[in-house]
Amino acid sequence: MNKYEFLYKLNKNLLSYSVREREEITHYYDELIQDAIDNGETEEEFINRLGSIETIIRTIKKDDTFIDNVKEKKNFELKKVFSITSKVIGYAIYILLVIVIASVAFSFATSGASLFVIGATKLVVGIKNSVSGMSILMYLGNILLGSGLLLLGIYGFIWLVKQSKNKLEKLLEWIQEFFNKRGEEK
Amino acid sequence: MDIQLKKGFLEILVLASLKNEDSYGYRIIQDVSEIIEISESTLYPILKRLEVQDYVSTYTTEYNSRLRKYYKITKRGLTKIKESESDFNEIKKIYEFILK
Repeated sequence: MNKYEFLYKLNKNLLSYSVREREEITHYYDELIQDAIDNGETEEEFINRLGSIETIIRTIKKDDTFIDNVKEKKNFELKKVFSITSKVIGYAIYILLVIVIASVAFSFATSGASLFVIGATKLVVGIKNSVSGMSILMYLGNILLGSGLLLLGIYGFIWLVKQSKNKLEKLLEWIQEFFNKRGEEK
Repeated sequence: MDIQLKKGFLEILVLASLKNEDSYGYRIIQDVSEIIEISESTLYPILKRLEVQDYVSTYTTEYNSRLRKYYKITKRGLTKIKESESDFNEIKKIYEFILK
């Protein structure tokens, strides 16, 4: 049997494998035969030494389960890494959002409180100094706007705590679980 | 030699043959054959095993107007050789006991 006959027969017997695997196996034998010829061996003698196609296929098939198991394990590990990465990114975005909302609520509350205090102080001083009705009205407006902003800020905080309590607890549980698992693995 | 025992040794031997330089199928057989008998059809599954376990990586280069696949040992492969030292010590102890 010459090289082409051998490779054709081999390829025909590998139909249960994917095109890529078939190419890989036939290329391996094609290269071996070529290297043997380059090394001074006779094509036919070398092909005879390779043994029957059936034996070659049987040897490859023996390792199929092992190869599949390793590939499956690799895929599982890759999925695990991907799931952890996406969780970490998700939580990072969530924490960032919490920080942004908390900052907005804080600035609303503090500016509201200062407007309220300034308005109230000016109102008291204004009443004592008998300022005009227009000014009193402006101070009252200040107090109203300040208390509105303050209430909005406080409501924002309460809403944030209510919304994020469960998620933050879950995040802490997940972090704890992650480190426990890593500890067990080590 | 027992087939299972030989299989374990062959993986390490093939890895060891790649320790100093990258190699290709035909030469690996020649190198390993100096130590232990190995056939061309036995080598393919071993190389495949080593490849999927990331003990070796592969690349193809042109040689004499044809493509030749080279095998290169990875860091993981080098670690595997080191790990096998303790296995061989254990086997040595077992044989020393058997032959006592």
